[in-house]
Amino acid sequence: MFDPFFSWLESTTLRTWIVESPSLFAFPGILAAHTIGLGLLVGLTVALDLRLLGIAPNIPPDAFTRFLPVMRFGLWLNVVTGLTLVLAYPTKALTNPDFYLKLLLIAGGLLILRATLRRVRAGLATSGTTKLLAAVSLLVWAAAITSGRLLAYTCIRLTVDTPCE
Amino acid sequence: MIPLQVHFEAWLRSFTGIAAFMQMKWSWPAMESAHFIGLTLLFGSIAAWDLRLVGVLKEVPVSAFHKLVPFAILGFAINMTSGFLFLVTFPEQYVYNTAFQLKMLCVIVAGLNVMLFYLTSFRRIATSGPGEQAPLLGRISGAVSLGLWGTVIICGRMITFFRPADRCHAVDVVRFLANCVVR
Repeated sequence: MFDPFFSWLESTTLRTWIVESPSLFAFPGILAAHTIGLGLLVGLTVALDLRLLGIAPNIPPDAFTRFLPVMRFGLWLNVVTGLTLVLAYPTKALTNPDFYLKLLLIAGGLLILRATLRRVRAGLATSGTTKLLAAVSLLVWAAAITSGRLLAYTCIRLTVDTPCE
Repeated sequence: MIPLQVHFEAWLRSFTGIAAFMQMKWSWPAMESAHFIGLTLLFGSIAAWDLRLVGVLKEVPVSAFHKLVPFAILGFAINMTSGFLFLVTFPEQYVYNTAFQLKMLCVIVAGLNVMLFYLTSFRRIATSGPGEQAPLLGRISGAVSLGLWGTVIICGRMITFFRPADRCHAVDVVRFLANCVVR
C-alpha cells in the first residue's frame, strides 16, 4: 500500500547521497552520531536511575536535572539522525515490526524519564514508586537498545524491490 | 603486512569453540546488544563524571560521582568480553581494520588519561568540597576523556565500513583521510 511512497523516498537526492556517497559523513557518520546520541541520552538516564536506586547517595538526585541540556541534545540528535536513517532505508524500517517495537520502547522510556524527573523535582526521589520507575526505566532502555540492534537482523525488504537475504 | 598482526590474528583464530558459538544464529545479535548496553553504562557514568570535572554541576563535590565508577567498570568489562568474542570470531575483519585500530588506540589513551588523573589530581579532588572547581589538570582530563570515549563510539561504528578489501580500507592515517573522510 505504501510502496509508491517508499519508491518516491528512495529516489530523492538526499537519500541517494546518504546511501551512495563514499564519504564517511554520509551513512556511516549519521549512524555514528546516532550512537553518540544514544550514549548521551540513555547513558545519563542510566546514571540517574542508578542514583535513584541508591548508588552514589551523596549526589543530590535533583542535581541530575543539570545534565538535562546534554540529554536533550542527545535526544534531538537521535530524532534527526533517526529520521535520516529511515529516509535512507524507508522500506527496510517501516515494513519491520521490530522497528515499531523500538519506537514504542523509546516512547515508554521517555515517558518514564519525564515522570521520574517530575517526581525528583517534587522531592519524591526516595519513594518506592520512584525506585520502581528507575528500575523499569533500566529494563525498557535495555530492551530498546536490543530491539534497535535486532533491526539489522530482522529485515524483510531492504528497498521496495529488494527482499532481504 | 606487519608480522605482529599476522601472529595476533593466528592467536585469535585458536579460540575455535567461541567462534563456533558466535556463529550460532542469535549469538552475534545478542552480544551486539550487550555491547551497546555496556556502552551506555560506561559512557553514561563517565560522561557524568567528566562533565562534573569540566565544570557542570559545581555544587556537587566531584567525589560524590565516584560511586558511579563501578558501573563504568562493569560497562567496560561487558564490552571487553563481548568485544573479544567478536574479535576471535572474525579476527581478519578487525586486526587489519583502521577504524578498529584507532578505536583500540583511543581506549588505551583513555586508560592512560585516567591513570594520570588518579596519580595527579585525584587526591586533591577527593577532599574538595561542593562548589569547588576542579584544578586545570582535572578539567583537561575530563574534556580529553569525553573526546576519547566519543571517538571510541564513532570508530566502533566505522568498523563495518572498513572491511578489508572495502573501498575505504586504509593502511595509514594519511590515506585514510584522503580516501575516506575528505571525499
